[in-house]
Amino acid sequence: MRPDTSRTLQGIAINLLTNVIAEVKTPFGQQTVGIAASLAMWIAEETERGADRLVVENGVTREILADGLALAGTARAAVEAAAATPAAPNFRISSLQSENDSLRRGLIALHAAVESNPSADAQSMNERIWAELIESTRRRQFQARIG
Amino acid sequence: MYDATWSGDGEEHSQAFVVRKDPPASLLETDREAEYGFYSAFWNSGVPVPRMRWLEPDASIIGGPFFIMDRILGCESNTRAPQAPPYLAVQPEMARNMYDILGIIANFEWRGTAIERVAEPPAAETAWEKELAHWEGIINVQELSPQPLMRAAIRWLRANPPPPAQRVGVVHGDYRVGNFLYREDGSIHGIVDWEMAHLGDPVEDLAWSLNESWQWAKDGRPGGIVDRETAITLWERASGLRADPAAVLWWEVFSHVKCQGIWITGARSFQEGRTNELILPMVAYSLINAQDQALLRTLGRIA
Repeated sequence: MRPDTSRTLQGIAINLLTNVIAEVKTPFGQQTVGIAASLAMWIAEETERGADRLVVENGVTREILADGLALAGTARAAVEAAAATPAAPNFRISSLQSENDSLRRGLIALHAAVESNPSADAQSMNERIWAELIESTRRRQFQARIG
Repeated sequence: MYDATWSGDGEEHSQAFVVRKDPPASLLETDREAEYGFYSAFWNSGVPVPRMRWLEPDASIIGGPFFIMDRILGCESNTRAPQAPPYLAVQPEMARNMYDILGIIANFEWRGTAIERVAEPPAAETAWEKELAHWEGIINVQELSPQPLMRAAIRWLRANPPPPAQRVGVVHGDYRVGNFLYREDGSIHGIVDWEMAHLGDPVEDLAWSLNESWQWAKDGRPGGIVDRETAITLWERASGLRADPAAVLWWEVFSHVKCQGIWITGARSFQEGRTNELILPMVAYSLINAQDQALLRTLGRIA
């Protein structure tokens, strides 16, 4: 769809903040319009990047689960089940998110297993998981700063 | 909020009131009766609170349990106002008052008050366990997606328990700039939002007040009004308790878990269509990831 969804949402946000908010009589109404504009700005970003973010993260998480399986100990079944999560059947955000949820449940199980394992391999995997979790917060960071 | 006028005893009366009612969905699902009990216990104490008037647990009357309290007039509560005149100049006084009052809360003798009826005292050694189990349970129920960072934090909290509470006291549960009413001279006239109040380790309130989510000036200062070291010193002086660094760290990590429990509760309310309040997705979009990053900073994983 053109103009791009993200640009259209940005336009909606700008209209809310410049044209609509001044016409709203009550402070609560103005606050609601401001929140709607903020959300539109964030959704504009997420619309553009969301599928890519999830595809990238799902791939990285699958690699970690595969490499960590041998270190999973008593969590092996949970990690194995998560690693066997079928790939999303399409690129809908809801499908990719469902895949992501399943994989990240396995990541939690693997993380818990390796952090209590003092072996060098387990500790290396522990740090790799922390690095991925840090990166995952960067993927979710919005560029639009509101307020 | 409303203003009431009535006749009685041959006189005309008027009073400004606040009604607190359970909303259909919000950031929290709390107990109005417990909140009323904590407010009532502090009336006429050294902790300024609005006077409680009536508690109605019957949900059928206005659509949820509610209570009515006097409205404290002539005060500001906005979180950003202390960043600008006339409040900017009185930040030190406001901070001193904030932690003086928190010291009184920490030392408040709750036995024999309404609090005894609405709150279960934990043992000093296990106050942390009770709170952690409570908030882990909320995350278990409310999360829409797995929370790997918060799960790592919860494991860290279990593996590194804090020292026993120096005393089992009242914990406000949401003590921060934004939950008290203040005036232009930096004086504080009402501590509000007692919906998460409980009995526990008073260090919990100190650590909560330091959380990044309430650093309104975005400059690392708690509440945007005082630097961290001064806040801790003020609290130690006012409470007579020691802010053991291990305890403060533990309760700070816990505060991130608790915050996340609150944010994801609101996210689920909206997701499930129990409310269309836009503040809930706004909080979810802006704070869930930010809280994860704040946790990483507290754990020293990122700068």
